[in-house]
Amino acid sequence: MSDTILSVRNVSKHFGGVQALNKVSFDVHPGEVVAVAGDNGAGKSTVIKAISGVFQYEDGEILLDGKRTAFSSPQDARDSGIETIYQDLSLADNLSIGANIFLGREPMKRRFGFLPVIDRQKMAEAAKATMESLDFHVSRLDAPVAAFSGGQRQAVAIGRAIYWNARLVIMDEPTAALGVPEQLKVMSLIQSLKAHGKGVIFISHNLRDIFEVADRIVVFRRGENVGERRPSETSGDEIVRLMVGK
Amino acid sequence: MAAPETLTPAIHARGKVVGRSLLMRIAELRAWLFLILLLIFFETWARVAYDASFVLNTYNLQSISVFATAPLLLALGQTFVIISAGIDLSLGFVMGLASVIAAHAANFAAVQLGLPAPIAMLAGLAAGVAVTIIPGLVNGGLIAHLKVPPFIGTLGMYGVARGAAYLFAGGMTISVSNDWYSAIGNNRVLGIPVLVILTVIACVVMHYMLSQTRFGQHTYAMGASQAAARRAGINTKKLTMKIYFLSAIMAGVGGVLYTGRFSAGAAQAGEPLLLDSIAAVVIGGASLFGGSGTIWGTVAGSLVIAVIQYGLVFIDVEPFWQFVAVGTVIIISVLVDQTQRRFMGGRTVE
Amino acid sequence: MERRSFVKLLGASGVAAASMPMLAGKASAADKVTIALIPGLTADGFYVTMHKGAEAAAKAVGAKLIYQGAAEWNVSLQVPVLEAVIAKAPKAILIAPTDKQQLIQPLKKANDAGISVICVDTFIGNGVFQTGAGDADFPIAYVASDNVLGGRMAARALAKAIGEKGKVYVSNVKPGVSTTDQREEGFKDEMKNYSGISVLETQFNDDDANKAAAQFQAVLGRTPDLAGVFGANLFSAGGTANGAKQAGVTGKVKLAGFDAPESIVPQLKDGTFELTIAQHPAEIGYFGFMSAYAHVTGNPVPTAIGTGFTVMTGANIDDPNVSKYLYKSS
Repeated sequence: MSDTILSVRNVSKHFGGVQALNKVSFDVHPGEVVAVAGDNGAGKSTVIKAISGVFQYEDGEILLDGKRTAFSSPQDARDSGIETIYQDLSLADNLSIGANIFLGREPMKRRFGFLPVIDRQKMAEAAKATMESLDFHVSRLDAPVAAFSGGQRQAVAIGRAIYWNARLVIMDEPTAALGVPEQLKVMSLIQSLKAHGKGVIFISHNLRDIFEVADRIVVFRRGENVGERRPSETSGDEIVRLMVGK
Repeated sequence: MAAPETLTPAIHARGKVVGRSLLMRIAELRAWLFLILLLIFFETWARVAYDASFVLNTYNLQSISVFATAPLLLALGQTFVIISAGIDLSLGFVMGLASVIAAHAANFAAVQLGLPAPIAMLAGLAAGVAVTIIPGLVNGGLIAHLKVPPFIGTLGMYGVARGAAYLFAGGMTISVSNDWYSAIGNNRVLGIPVLVILTVIACVVMHYMLSQTRFGQHTYAMGASQAAARRAGINTKKLTMKIYFLSAIMAGVGGVLYTGRFSAGAAQAGEPLLLDSIAAVVIGGASLFGGSGTIWGTVAGSLVIAVIQYGLVFIDVEPFWQFVAVGTVIIISVLVDQTQRRFMGGRTVE
Repeated sequence: MERRSFVKLLGASGVAAASMPMLAGKASAADKVTIALIPGLTADGFYVTMHKGAEAAAKAVGAKLIYQGAAEWNVSLQVPVLEAVIAKAPKAILIAPTDKQQLIQPLKKANDAGISVICVDTFIGNGVFQTGAGDADFPIAYVASDNVLGGRMAARALAKAIGEKGKVYVSNVKPGVSTTDQREEGFKDEMKNYSGISVLETQFNDDDANKAAAQFQAVLGRTPDLAGVFGANLFSAGGTANGAKQAGVTGKVKLAGFDAPESIVPQLKDGTFELTIAQHPAEIGYFGFMSAYAHVTGNPVPTAIGTGFTVMTGANIDDPNVSKYLYKSS
């Protein structure tokens, strides 16, 4: 196995009187898909937020490419190569694929030699190239992303991560609220990320998806990592047992 | 990890997207189509009833374009605000406040300071626009930092600006006697009213800002989803401040030009224009829920309103129809807009 | 130069006295009679001048004047002010009601609380009081410019200015405001006497000068031989004047305005306005206050007093007897 992208070591976090994370550890390697499973309130979202810089963790450490992280904001994490895709995808529905990929970091060029304008051509070209690398073919790249299906929009969100060379892509419930055909499409997108050598963490309640695409399953319960399994070495029942603690 | 037979690796966007783009074009140009229909209507009527042309008539074009400039200047700022999923109800009285301060400043400069007319005029213009910085920043602060909903925040500023405007006006319209200042509001260059020229310049600048800068792009994004904008690293607080600051400044421009045109500052100068400014933006293609709209659409919307109001008087229709007409156009506009959105799969009200 | 000032007598009670007994100020500070004045709006030279007239009357009889109003002409702003004033229990309230119907009930409450009501400038109901008919009958008196007469005077002056022939129209604010409605009524009625003049459809501008200007231009567009316009209030006239200026017909199309703020002077002199009808708001304030005072001190008063007008033109505005009727700004 090549070097580790992300290493979570004995990380803890509490809010008020609640211990949300208790000495949690797990690793993610390049080209590896790690599914994080667990019941509601088990700490899945919390550990994701700690990794992506939404808040600071206490005790323990999180290493990105071997270096300790201390992100002051999600922006920080993003700039370091950790891209988080939330359930709502955080896309601007009224903007095109290119506009969404470049949102907040639009490329500029000078018209007439002095007037700064957004370089829409560059955005469109980059969008086309990126989406094609995900096997996403569309004739009108300037349509607003609202016009696309759930799976296609998921592709755009992932395309954004790829374009900015994220090393680690975190996805929160990527297939929730999608129909089965669309879920399959998302799974294939995750395969693409693997093929690009990214590390992927995804939170899911969907056992079928987990078994479909994960290399390893990490189970959380009550803020603790209660078990890691390879899909080939376990069963849905065992995962559920770990989740509820039987 | 078996690949299910039904999974196709290539993901194709729905074929309708191609057809959609044509509809998108029509959607953007909707207001202009409306305008053309109106002009055809009035032209036909004018020829039949008066044996005269409505459109090929310099006088009419000058009158209509000047008429449109007043609400349009407010509507330009309002466009940004509405695209960002906000609304600015204070623009009318901010305009009035600017109008009154401009009048006072021009008078003070000319009378108390004894400055020559053109300098006094510049003093008026500068002071009137400058005073709008305050309501702009306050609106922005309330909405961005204190999280007050735009409707409520700007409604509060509506009251404050109204009070301030009437206070500074002391119950009168403030007369200004300044040939240079009056020239800006009334003169023509090569047949085109100066007011129209200035407004066109404003439109070009606003169009550039909205469609070619990051500021404009981020405004659209924020209107679609504040969360998306924030997560993309956009400082939504600062962006909001800028947007309301801009709309107040534009109201200031409208106010100082009003004073030039009527040679008087009036606190209630902008009051009847507020709703027209919102109507212009909506007829122009924006959704009140944010995320869409363009400057040229707003221009078309303002022209639609001006042509209707002027045209109905020109063809001598009973005044009550004028009240009805603009309202009807707004309703039709919104219905067309809703239908288009539903068809194109965007956000609609269910 | 036309100048009229007269006191008109009406009233079913048939009370005769055209003059009111004025009682000397022998009331001590402790039992000073308190009378309130609520204008249509405070931010207006007309009402500022009316306030001065009322103050002069209060001083003359040694009574106390309370002055409270809203900054804008708006029923929902005036009613709370009225209620606050009622709570101060004045002996009488002089009020310019912002709506003929909606102020009936709130004023009735004042009346029922023993506060006498006198309408100034605008009225409730039909303006005819103390007849025993209708539910808006309770006010003691109505003191105002006879706006119908004002409209007539504007018509006569404008007719003269356009040589008694041609097309004219009225630029008005919005239907339903008693004062401007009456001016239009008087104007149109008087114009019937001039066979050479035809009155076109009235245009309503919602008190928006921008609209008034555009409406003028549109009318002119279809009526190139337009001879005159009557602007029924300040913004109507001012907006129309600007429209005329932009169309290049200032002076060619005669403009008659209404009301006389100080800003009207240069506009009369340079021909922007042909003439304006100045009301006498100070008289309204003065006689309104005096009626109230007389009534609460047990004297009968006429149920209607009509104050007069002065026609101001560029030619006569320098005459101090005319210019004294300009409205004060403070």
